[in-house]
Amino acid sequence: MNHIARPTLPRFERCLLTTVGRLVPVQDRDEWSRTWQAELWYMHQRSHHRHISPLAGITDLSIGLMRDALWLRTEGWRLNFSDTATLCLASLLVLSLLSSLIALVLAGSWDSLRPYLRDQWMRSVIAAPYIVLVLYATASRRHTAQRSITKWFSWVKRQFFFVVKTLQILFLAFLLSIAVCVPLHRPFPLTADLMQLFAFVLFGLIGLRWAIHDQEQRCKHCLRSLTTPARVGRPSHNLLEWNGTELSCKHGHGLLSIPEMETSWCQYSHWIDLDVSI
Amino acid sequence: MTSVPRLSHSAALILKALSLGYCFGLDIMEITGLPSGTVYPALRRLERDGLVESKWEPEDEATASQRPARRYYEVTRSGKTAATAATQRYPLLARLLPEKRS
Repeated sequence: MNHIARPTLPRFERCLLTTVGRLVPVQDRDEWSRTWQAELWYMHQRSHHRHISPLAGITDLSIGLMRDALWLRTEGWRLNFSDTATLCLASLLVLSLLSSLIALVLAGSWDSLRPYLRDQWMRSVIAAPYIVLVLYATASRRHTAQRSITKWFSWVKRQFFFVVKTLQILFLAFLLSIAVCVPLHRPFPLTADLMQLFAFVLFGLIGLRWAIHDQEQRCKHCLRSLTTPARVGRPSHNLLEWNGTELSCKHGHGLLSIPEMETSWCQYSHWIDLDVSI
Repeated sequence: MTSVPRLSHSAALILKALSLGYCFGLDIMEITGLPSGTVYPALRRLERDGLVESKWEPEDEATASQRPARRYYEVTRSGKTAATAATQRYPLLARLLPEKRS
């Protein structure tokens, strides 16, 4: 085992490194600490040789090590959460909160918003199943066939995510429609009620259409969005060979082949499992 | 064909300093005048994007000179392409930094 020499630093800097080091992800912490111990040691040496106060340099480096640690932490989060189902649901939740905040600001007070919300909520709850029904009746059947044999747990997880996403989108559509129509409610109550219902249906349809598209373009195992789209085949050879787009899971679980045009021998998207260990 | 990433002025300055032979974080801070809070996260980003790579000095060599080993950075091939593109984008960069004397 290699013995790594650690430079001796003043007590304050050692404490700072230990404290700020807690922000750094565990797997990077040792290397981060080693890097900064060396940088601080050299900082002291240069200050000593140039007969300048190390205080300004140390203050600057303290900010640097803090920002460096924060960067590593946020980068860790980015790698863990980017394109995940959790991030998708969290984003929808944030959008819902923002919409309700806008509705509240436009209504002026909670007391004036509450009765309007209550009345429109019932109408929207009745309209919501019809939106879902219309959407499924008119949805393209192109992506419904999946030839993959996935485990039941993955299937349940995927369906659960889709149900939660659908409910969140309907709720967001409701809040958005309220935010759009609440300023009209006082001068034109009937028009505002009707407009709210139309807006809810419109936002709901757009949102759910996106939800279906998003669901199709996620990994069937980890539910991350598929990336790196690649064009395969030539459109001019459509009658002779397959052409379309291939998307892959960045964790290597599988590949989704989406045909450019529906043909008798290639009507549906195909999910191909690449990771046999799952 | 690989696309050349567009760099911010600070990132381009740091990459230029690295390509001129300033390979330690502290050296880059001194020559560019950028604060450490900009230099170190920028070096991490450049490394993540594959424009630079970091290595550790040999431990024995550092111990023999009674100092700790340091992490140093080198510009990769795509980093050199990006540095050239950045110099074209920010023409004054070439005049801002002197070449390091060995």
